[in-house]
Parts: sequence; structure tokens; C-alpha cells
Amino acid sequence: MENNEKQLLKEFAPQIERTSVQGYVWILFLLSVIGLGVYAFIQQVTKGHIVTGMRDNVVWGIYIVNFIFFMGVSYAGALISGTLHLFKTAWRKPVIRMAEFITIISLLIGPCYILLCIGRLDKLHYLVLHGRIQSPITWDVIAISTDIFGCFIFLYLAVLRDLANMRDFEELQLPKWRKKLYKALALGYTGTEEQKKRLERATNIMATMVIAIAIIVYSVLAWIFSVTLQPGWHSTIFGPYFVIAAVYSGSAVLIVAMWFFRKVYHLEQYITKKHFVAVGLIMLVLAAFFGYFTFSDYLTKWYGSEKNDELLIQLLFKEFYWPFIISNYVGVLLPLLVVGIAKLRTITNITLAAVVVIIALWLNRYLIVIPTLQSPYLPIQDSRPEWSIYQSTWVEWSLTAAGIAMFCLLFTLASKFIPIVNVAGNTQESNPDDVLV
Amino acid sequence: MKKHLYLIISLAILAVLLVPSLTRAEEKKDSSTILESHLTFSYVCTSNDSVNLTANLYIKKESDPYGLMNATVGFFCKEENAMIPLGTAVTDQDGNAVLNVVISKLRPGKDGMITYVSRFDGTPKYTSVSESFTAEPAKLRITFNVQDSIRYLNVTGTRKDAKGQEVALTKETVLLYVPRLFSLLKIGEVALDEEGKASFEFPNDIVGDTLGNLKIIAKIEENDKYGFVQGTSNINWGVPKQYYKAEVPSRELWTPIAPLWMIITLVIMLAGVWAHYMYAVWELFMIKMDSKKDKPTL
Repeated sequence: MENNEKQLLKEFAPQIERTSVQGYVWILFLLSVIGLGVYAFIQQVTKGHIVTGMRDNVVWGIYIVNFIFFMGVSYAGALISGTLHLFKTAWRKPVIRMAEFITIISLLIGPCYILLCIGRLDKLHYLVLHGRIQSPITWDVIAISTDIFGCFIFLYLAVLRDLANMRDFEELQLPKWRKKLYKALALGYTGTEEQKKRLERATNIMATMVIAIAIIVYSVLAWIFSVTLQPGWHSTIFGPYFVIAAVYSGSAVLIVAMWFFRKVYHLEQYITKKHFVAVGLIMLVLAAFFGYFTFSDYLTKWYGSEKNDELLIQLLFKEFYWPFIISNYVGVLLPLLVVGIAKLRTITNITLAAVVVIIALWLNRYLIVIPTLQSPYLPIQDSRPEWSIYQSTWVEWSLTAAGIAMFCLLFTLASKFIPIVNVAGNTQESNPDDVLV
Repeated sequence: MKKHLYLIISLAILAVLLVPSLTRAEEKKDSSTILESHLTFSYVCTSNDSVNLTANLYIKKESDPYGLMNATVGFFCKEENAMIPLGTAVTDQDGNAVLNVVISKLRPGKDGMITYVSRFDGTPKYTSVSESFTAEPAKLRITFNVQDSIRYLNVTGTRKDAKGQEVALTKETVLLYVPRLFSLLKIGEVALDEEGKASFEFPNDIVGDTLGNLKIIAKIEENDKYGFVQGTSNINWGVPKQYYKAEVPSRELWTPIAPLWMIITLVIMLAGVWAHYMYAVWELFMIKMDSKKDKPTL
């Protein structure tokens, strides 16, 4: 272990060895929110989906919105971490671990919302037993399960050197079982030239794979919508549009995570303004792309004036006016202004813009799913008029909050297990105020 | 502090803008109000000498009807001033209570008419309500015959006179239907003659099941005197259904196998991805193996 790595581990040791009172309060709060979600889930299981806002016409609600959102965040984490690794970006080390955690944790939470959405969980295994390759749903199941494996391997490769560091750092005051766990997980890595070469080779390959898979998997998710003839969904640019939206939301989540851990673990020396500006610039470029795709998609629909597309656009500008404005105007323009104008480019402003982007992108998915289902081609027989309008219920919001709380909890626990900043090969910033541009 | 305030205010504004448009407004419930019940009563006289009595019980919310579930509805037959109970039925999720009554148990009035009554006695939450319907029992029978290779569907209508004797049902219009997936397909319309009979040349192009079986329904609808009368019968005069069998595998979910290009693409992609995974896992395995032969130099 190099001296600077030892020094870094010493600095991170308190957050791994102990949990402060505030830490316990935070975990307790998260568990309470998850508990509320469990109560809501029990209500849903015992009373059925009638406790949700989903009905015969609008069969997908905020569960699907959350699924798309979390999966998007996950793919964004994979894309960002994979790209930063492959291009050996100089400033990547303090933020790459967070991007990797975002990938895995979102990937674990996202598919849970599909399970919440399914009415007959007892028949879930039919997907495997009777799945048809022709079905986009089957593509999605195959793609997501492949992605989960790939991301786990990539994360494992990325943390292997730090696991070995943790194993070898004797000053770390940890229970024996944790020491044994680090020893087992480190796979006997001692940093020999041969091991370094092997690790580098495997990590490079997996970085390439997670980028490719992230693009494919999120495109598959988009195709579930776009292969249908529904107004608002049947679009050839939905694949790349979803990928861009995913990376955009993921960059925003990464900025918020950086701000949070910087504050909580006092990482001001390692995560500097330079990192916020760098990720902020990624967010800025993605905001421009996202705005371009959104405009292109709605312009062609509006100009084409197909009956159902017109109805949908009217619905978006009347019933969903504020969500539409926040999602497609505020969510695009704010990061462009905040990161684009040098004077506004502060850590707080970039973080605030990132929070707005997260909300805007969640709303973007809401506007993709719900209004389309509210303007179906064919009325369903014996359907009540109120069933064609979706309004989410406390059960759905509780389970949404539980998902976010679970994301935060797993992130917190992960940061207790392994340093939130890459220790292996990392060095302290020589000039924390050094700015990229 | 100022920055935090800025953040909180911004998020609060967002929440105020979004929450009303995304969440379900809590309905104001006033448990003390008694809601007015409504009842629609319908009746169908079937070919097996029975009548199906259907009562639909519902309440109205903002002019939209909502069926009342699990309510008990009583059915009666009115004889002069007496109400003879026929039975009770519990409403389903749509508010429908259905009772089947054998006609021979009913006593028509002097004019041959029978008055049916359905009644919901109400609960502390819902008002009581009742409806009645008067009709003369009638019957439609369907028979089939083939003459000179032409298929005929014959309908015979009968009613019971004051003495309880079956007599011909004359000069009434009978509609002929075949049930399809979502609704009834009308195939013809005939008028009963003086003997209560009518004949109809059966079409040759109606698709039945795989054996060509068809269900035929003859109906008198909304008649002032007889109400709804219905007769049914089955015959294998339909065109046998041929299930679609794709010659070339295509994207439809019911085709036995996916298109070849799709299978090849999927196999190549999955094989490519998993091969790389295996390689990465192999490298991890070799790292473990290397540790056993190398001295630690970390």
C-alpha cells in the first residue's frame, strides 16, 4: 500500500469504523420511510390494486415512472463511470465510486417497481416459462438481468484494490467478521505486476461492456413504448431520447450525491468545485441534447397534426401544464444558465440545478407514461369515465418515498463498508479551488 | 443559511405547482348523509319456461352511476293486493341481482299479465327503492331444417292464454343474432305469421368454432305486452374456424417461434456480452490464483 493511500484510509477510517448520532438518526428516518412503504405495500397486497390510482384505462402509474427513472439513473451511473474510466479522466477518482454505487443501487431498486405494478405476482414465473422472444417485455427482462450481472462485476473490479487496502490496513478498528469479509472479497490481491495487468484488462473490458449494455438496455426499455402505436410513444427517436434523458438525470443524481457526501463526510479536500463544474458541464451538454430531442419529438408530432397526437399535445398544455413547463423548459434552461454562466457556477447553484433536473426528469417520465394512457385509441367496454383519468394515491407515493429512502439507505450503508472516494491511486487535490474552465 | 432558504423556497414552489396536478384529491366524506338508491328492473322470458329477473341497484355521484355491491334485493309477484315472494338475490360488483323463476309457479291475472316487483329495503346509509314490470309470459323456439340444400332457421312463438293454454304468438317481430366476441351479431329479422311461425334462410358464411358450431339467439325486444322474450339453440352450420398459422415466423406473440433474424441477433449479443463477463470473472479467478504463488508486495 502506498503512503498516500494509507493517509487517505486514515482519513476515511472514522466514517467506516463508527456511526455518529446524526448517522443513526438519519438511518432511523430512512427506515421509518421504508416502514411506511411496507405498510402501503401490505395495503396493496391485501386490498388489491384498487388502492392505487391505476385503473382499466390507465394501467401504468408512478410505479412505472419510478422504474424508468431508477433504471435511467442506473444506466447513467454505468455510462459515466465507464466513460471516465476508459478515458482515464484526470479528475475521475473522487467521483467514480459514487457513480458506480448509483449504478448498482438504482439497478436493485428500479425493477422492484415493476413487481409493485404487476397484479398477479403469483404468475410472475410465467415470464420465464412462457416468455416469447418476440415480446419487448422479454427483451427487457433479459437485458436488465444481463445488466445487473455486468454492473456487479464492474463494481467488484472497481473496488477490488480498495478491498485489499482495507484488508491490509491494520489500524482500522473493525469487528473480526468484517476483516474476514474484506480478506475473502479481496481475492488475495497484493498488487503484483501480473495482478495489476489482469485487473486493468478486466476493468477496461467491463467498462466498455457496461457502456454498451447501458445504451442497449435503456433503448430496449424505450422500445417497449415506441413499438406500440400509442400517441406519444410511437417515435423512432425514443431509444436515443431515453438514453440521453437517462444520462442527464444520472449526472444530476451524481452531483447531488457528491454534495451530500462532501458535506456529511467533510470531503472538501477531495471533492472540489472542479469536480462539480466538470460533472456540471457534462450535465450542461446533456441538457442541450435533451432539449433538442424533446423539441424534435414534440415538433414533429405537433406539425404532423395526427388526431391523437393533437389530443395528446392539447392534454399536455392544458391538464399537465405545470409539469410540462417544469420538465421541458425549466429542466432544460436552468442547468444551461447556471453552468453556462461562469458567475453563477457555484457548488450550491450547480447542486440546486441538479435537484431541479432530477424533478424535471422524473416529471418527463410521468408525462411520457400517463397522458398517453389517458388518450387511448379505443374506449374500453363498460369502462367508467373516471377510470380514464389517473390520479396517484398515498399508497403509490409512500412506496415511491420508500424507494428513494432505500436508495439513500443503501448508499449510506455502502459508504460505511467501503470509502465513498476511490482510495487506490487517489491523491489529495493540490489546489482545491482549481477550476476546469 | 441564505442558500438553504433559497433551496427550500424553490422546492416548496415546485411542490405547490406539482402536487395538485399529480395527486388524488381526498374526497370529502359525510357519513351522516343518506344516499338515494336507484333501481332499474329488467326481465327476459326464456325458452325453457322460466324468466330471468335482473335488478340493477346503484347510487349517483355527480350524475355518474355506481353499482351497489352485496345488497340484498327481494323479488315478488303481485297478485291483486298480495305480494308473493319469489326469492332474493345479492348484488354483484356492478350492482346486478339476478333471479331465475319458473313460469309455472306464477299465476297470471285475468288478462294473462304478470306483475313482477323488485325491492331494496335500504340501509342506514342508502334509501329503500322498488320497481315493477308487467308482462305476459311468452316463448320463442328455434328449429332448423334443410330443403333443397337450402338451410332454414324456423322460429315459433307461443304465449299462454288466461286458461294457461299455449296459443300462437302472432305478428311480432323477432330479431336473430349470433354471439361474437364482444357483442351480438344481428343476422336477420323475421315477422311471426298467424300461426306464430316464421322462417329464415340461414346464411352460409358465418364463422363458428373449430367444428362450425353456432349459438343462435331469437329475441323479441322491448315489447309493450311481452317485454323481452328470448329463445336459443345450437347448430353446426357455421364455417369452421381456422386458427391463424403463420407460414413465416413473424413478430406476433402467438406465432410458435420468433423470426430467425431476432433469434440470431439475440444469441450473438448475449453470447458476446456473456463471453466478456466470463473473461472478466476468469481474470478475477486468475488474480486469486496468482496470490497463492506470489509474495505480497502491496
